[in-house]
Amino acid sequence: MQPHTSTAPAAPSAEDPRRRRIRRSALLLALIAAALYVGFIVMTVVRGWQ
Amino acid sequence: MAEPLAPAASHDHDHKPHGWRRWVYATNHKDIGTMYLVFACTMFFIGGFMAMLIRLELFKPGLQFFDPQFFNSMTTMHALIMIFGAVMPAWTGLANWMIPMQIGAPDMALPRLNNFSFWILPFAFTLLLSSLFVPGGAPAGGWTMYPPLVLQTGASFPMLIFSIHLMGASSILGAINVIVTIVNMRTPGMTLLRMPLFVWTWLITAYLLIAVMPVLAGAVTMLLTDHFFGTTFFTAAGGGDPVMFQHIFWFFGHPEVYILILPAFGIISEVIPTFSRKPLFGYEAMVYAVASIAFLSFIVWAHHMFTVGMPLAAQLFFMLSTMLIAVPTGVKVFNWTATMWKGSLSFEPPMLFALAFLFLFTIGGFSGLMLAIVPADYQYQDTYFVVAHFHYVLVPGAVFGIMAGVYYWLPKWIGRMYDLKLATWHFWLSAIFVNVLFFPQHFLGLAGMPRRIPDYAVQFTDWNMVSSIGAFGFGLAQLLFPYIIWKCVRSGERVGKKAWEGAHGLEWELPSPPPYHSWTTPPSDAVIARGAEH
Repeated sequence: MQPHTSTAPAAPSAEDPRRRRIRRSALLLALIAAALYVGFIVMTVVRGWQ
Repeated sequence: MAEPLAPAASHDHDHKPHGWRRWVYATNHKDIGTMYLVFACTMFFIGGFMAMLIRLELFKPGLQFFDPQFFNSMTTMHALIMIFGAVMPAWTGLANWMIPMQIGAPDMALPRLNNFSFWILPFAFTLLLSSLFVPGGAPAGGWTMYPPLVLQTGASFPMLIFSIHLMGASSILGAINVIVTIVNMRTPGMTLLRMPLFVWTWLITAYLLIAVMPVLAGAVTMLLTDHFFGTTFFTAAGGGDPVMFQHIFWFFGHPEVYILILPAFGIISEVIPTFSRKPLFGYEAMVYAVASIAFLSFIVWAHHMFTVGMPLAAQLFFMLSTMLIAVPTGVKVFNWTATMWKGSLSFEPPMLFALAFLFLFTIGGFSGLMLAIVPADYQYQDTYFVVAHFHYVLVPGAVFGIMAGVYYWLPKWIGRMYDLKLATWHFWLSAIFVNVLFFPQHFLGLAGMPRRIPDYAVQFTDWNMVSSIGAFGFGLAQLLFPYIIWKCVRSGERVGKKAWEGAHGLEWELPSPPPYHSWTTPPSDAVIARGAEH
């Protein structure tokens, strides 16, 4: 979300907590998706061993 | 709850590139929404053309035009293209266009990710469609990709698997963006229970996507390793279990059905109040009903596979949990009907599509209840009754929901009104022919005609002919749709910010067409309250 055409100073600090929240929640959701992907493969492997 | 946007941040993307750069490097939610919708429309016509070929072959018994392998490729590709290429991108396009405008945000939370998740799709579908030209032809084992049949696919097998991975990645990234946007970018005062139903249904859909698309990706990864790397996840000869694939697939597949239909519930909940000139009846009950449907979608998957054999207790559980879905769905149908009760109704094209949705989706839901009954399902399994059921859910359900949404918001997007008469023609032709196309398939299924076959016994001829005539009529009627949009863009009558007199919601507080960035200044509380009159 960096400005492309402006040399304006960085966004005010009020924006920073929100940016952090956005990044954190996006990463968390991506991790959940990755865990489900790996989890279902592992579950099938484990079931194959039984 | 989100803070107001700082002015500097709101101008981060406030430049409007021209030419091809505007689209290739797009980070604006409206541009990306438009690209999704154009892509979905293109795929709808490609998938629709395949459906025409299928119905052409089935017009008469005997092999008329195609060899069975090509016919099976057409049924497989038609399903994959319509589900992943037409309906899902259409919903994402509508989400991109409407969610920021409806929650008072200037754009999606992650605009570059948004660009990336769209541009994955053309590559995925080019790959999938190009499999038609490789030795052995396109995948022909059905969109469900059951092993061991799918493992016999020729050179197109890795193309199928890779394209599904790409589609899944695109959907997951899009879903992350939707959730993060709704959770973090709502304007102050836009509490969760003030959000429009379309935003609510999309929020729940996005959680479903994140929960089940990785499951599909895991399943097809295991198919890939079974095919190329000597594993035997689903190969009985090596100690694997083909039925395990079916369980995993339908753990994805049933929520997927709700991914395709929940945003339609949101749109119908916007359209019916507007054209009834009344607030939505039971707003909170609608939200809880959608959430309940989403939860139940995770515990019903085995109703797709009763005939593989399972313990009686499992059959009873999956039968009863499936029937339970009728309760929240009934709440929704009741509330839509109650919204219209004593309303000042008018029947513009979005309302016509919404009403057809209400009647015809209910038919699809009712045949779903019939299929949930285990002993009856033993008879219906793999017959045309199933084909009729899911097409009633997906065509007059999901597709009519998309049509209702596009006809509802098109004047807002373009700033011009479309030809209402032509759109009404589009509606009536679609509504009549969709029933001519799919209703006879109930009779064919009950009489025992199996699905996914290019030839059939002569006693099924008459209803197949009727069904094919319905298909050709429905297909031709859809050509009106791009023409109506083209005519609207070129010469539609200009509209004000509120294209429909009874409309409520933040999007209607913006000019038509809306500015490149929607809410650079957050809307006032009075505006939010006016928009939230559900």
